[in-house]
Amino acid sequence: MNTLLLFVGVLTLAGGLGISTAWIVTYYSFFGKKVIEWALILPLACPAYIIAYVYTDFLEYAGPAQGFIRHIFGFNSAADYYFPEIRSVMGAIFVMGFVLYPYIYILARTGFNNSPRSLYETAALYGRNKFFAVGLPLCRPYIVAGLALVAMEVLSDFGTVEYFSVQTLTLGMFNVWIGMNSISAASQIAIVTFVFIIILLVLERKARSSQKYNDTSKRLNNISPKELSLKKALFAICFCLVPISVGFIVPIIILINNVFIGLKPDSFFVIFPVLLNTIFIGLTATLIIILLAFFSASSAYFSKNRALVIIYSIAATGYALPGTMLAIGVVIFFGFLDKFTGNIVFLGGTIYGVIFALTVRFYAVPYGGVISGYSRIPSNLFDASKSLGYSSISTSYKITLPLIRTSIIATAILTFVDIVKELPMTLILRPFNFETLATYTYQFAHDELMIEASFPAFFIIIIGLIPILLLQNQLNGFFHSKN
Amino acid sequence: MNFYPLSVITFLFLSFTTVIGAEVNIYSHRQPFLINPFLEKFTEETGIRTNVVYATKGLAQRLKAEGKNSPADVILTVDIGRLYIYDDLDLLASVNSDILNRNIPQNLKSPENKWFALSKRSRIIVTSKDRVKEGQIKKIEDLADEQWKGRVCSRPGSHVYNRALMASLILSLGEKAAEEWAKKFVGNLARRPQGNDRAQVKAIFEGLCDISIINNYYFGKLKYSEDQIQREWAKSVRLIFPNQGAEDRGAHVNISGGGVAKYSKNKKEAVALLEFLSKADSQKMYGEINFEYPVNPNVETTEELKSWGSFKSDRLPIISIALKAYEAQKIIDKVGW
Repeated sequence: MNTLLLFVGVLTLAGGLGISTAWIVTYYSFFGKKVIEWALILPLACPAYIIAYVYTDFLEYAGPAQGFIRHIFGFNSAADYYFPEIRSVMGAIFVMGFVLYPYIYILARTGFNNSPRSLYETAALYGRNKFFAVGLPLCRPYIVAGLALVAMEVLSDFGTVEYFSVQTLTLGMFNVWIGMNSISAASQIAIVTFVFIIILLVLERKARSSQKYNDTSKRLNNISPKELSLKKALFAICFCLVPISVGFIVPIIILINNVFIGLKPDSFFVIFPVLLNTIFIGLTATLIIILLAFFSASSAYFSKNRALVIIYSIAATGYALPGTMLAIGVVIFFGFLDKFTGNIVFLGGTIYGVIFALTVRFYAVPYGGVISGYSRIPSNLFDASKSLGYSSISTSYKITLPLIRTSIIATAILTFVDIVKELPMTLILRPFNFETLATYTYQFAHDELMIEASFPAFFIIIIGLIPILLLQNQLNGFFHSKN
Repeated sequence: MNFYPLSVITFLFLSFTTVIGAEVNIYSHRQPFLINPFLEKFTEETGIRTNVVYATKGLAQRLKAEGKNSPADVILTVDIGRLYIYDDLDLLASVNSDILNRNIPQNLKSPENKWFALSKRSRIIVTSKDRVKEGQIKKIEDLADEQWKGRVCSRPGSHVYNRALMASLILSLGEKAAEEWAKKFVGNLARRPQGNDRAQVKAIFEGLCDISIINNYYFGKLKYSEDQIQREWAKSVRLIFPNQGAEDRGAHVNISGGGVAKYSKNKKEAVALLEFLSKADSQKMYGEINFEYPVNPNVETTEELKSWGSFKSDRLPIISIALKAYEAQKIIDKVGW
């Protein structure tokens, strides 16, 4: 029940925020739009569990927010006034919604930008609402892909719900399996979760397959944003500032404040190797995942083999599995592999284990992105290529790669950031004496030592921000679909 | 992109790192910042290098899956329940060491010498100095009393520390009475169970509730925190070692402990590490670094810990707590703790 509530709540909040902000920055132009446009992505760099720690500290009874309220109104105890409990389902919805909405924002924005202007003009001509008549239906594959990502993130989340003591399926499964060592009880819950995931995937597929896009003229059209009046522009800015502040600015200020309280002279020295490990793992795994995803999505698209498509889709369910579960699955699999090969290779407890698990987990991100990129390429381009005698492989290279570069770069960033934030799998699978920023943060955060945890946590966010900022210009270029 | 050569080099480096000299590989449930001082001293004294993987969950499953190939030599955990899972999965080797047998009492190790307690922590009651009078609460059982309705805070029941406490209640009161207690205790809660033990003291300081249960060392961590406010939290509470009456069973204690992995390739070094941790100097360090009590009967409790009060602890063989974990969790789920 909690799981369902969390699910619906986060999807509604993240979906609402993501789609509305994407629409605003695509179809209207106003002062400061450039800044707003990229700032909306920033919460992506924040791991939900860290935001959860930060907000709990800030909003709980003993935190500064309620302390301030008590001070102002002269309340003496909790019974004197109402304040929502942050450690609850609502709290979890709040935190996850504001951290996860950029997934939808990014994909929806790409979708809106790639929609042909001619259709909007037609809609305007007939006096229909542009958003509901054209924008939303046309972008459905992008939005659905974004929602699916968010949904899977919610299902797999462990850190946030554990911290908030919200009993979800995942947490329950975990407590009986790991805590009580009872596999049979855990498998029952796991089956329920898995059914949940399958339903989700079927829905996504349905939403996609019912539509086919063949617009030959769209690349010739650019959206021309409508200039807003000052009053409306201010409103648009304020609206977009809400998710940016809640998901990024406020937590980062609290974090920085903590960093300054706890900073010691050797802090940087200690963190440096940890930082390198994190970057190394992030880059290696991202590269592998992108290559795999591009290859599989292309082959799924071109060969009409249904079995292949189904296999790839099942592979993508890794994203919805809680990291800890997946990690233990990988450990068991590697144990089997090591025995099977007669211990010639020993993979368990090596860096390969971590990278393998990350691949299984995050493969869905670029796979979904590449697939929706494909669904937007007019199929007559492929037909043309075929009639010119090019094979599928050279077609992917010559036609698709340039056309879906946007999707690939965007999803590569998402994947990298996801990996940097990832905690439970890295924690369980990593080799001796190997710390990443996330695991290093965890040893303190686990003990609710927020001050000590803030320094490495701050770096997690910075490392995630770098690719977002570096590729922003490039991204923007692609969003505004130059030909 | 030019990170490719870098990846290849690192790849090769990681693949061919060779091992020089004696070493011991540790799977630890204790945070690195707590065990590193011990390990540094160990290396200094013996020349044996240490390698650590720290995680709070899933290490037993990893060890099991790795089977004979596992590189792990020593397991270090907190909480008897977690330690026992390794035993239950048959992942530990029986260790025959005179030093360990001498340093660790019978009731604090496995009957087959597969695991050993290395430090003790007592689960104690804390009350607000201002709002609860001294002597009003003496036993864990008292927390179920109706007069404390809406005045108790707690960490979630399914956390291992509370689960172990629940198990101890089942053992001393019987299953029915224990469940009755848990039901009334939950009825007295001021808020949904949440946070760790630190957060409970904080809640008392802020007046959200007046009574809670914590592990004793959290009090020390707060009392000597670098953070001024946390020191204030500690000042606001009174410590009560529960069930100290002449006829009573004593305060519930839990342990941190360790064992040698069944397929350890460095058994000698692994045993040496456990022995090192059980000897007087290290036992004292547990008190100094983390405010825990020594298991070695020949080692005196630190002055700081003595100043919090002396107490008698529940003499149950610690393993019986682990064996009741499942029943305890069932009650916890039933009453919604």
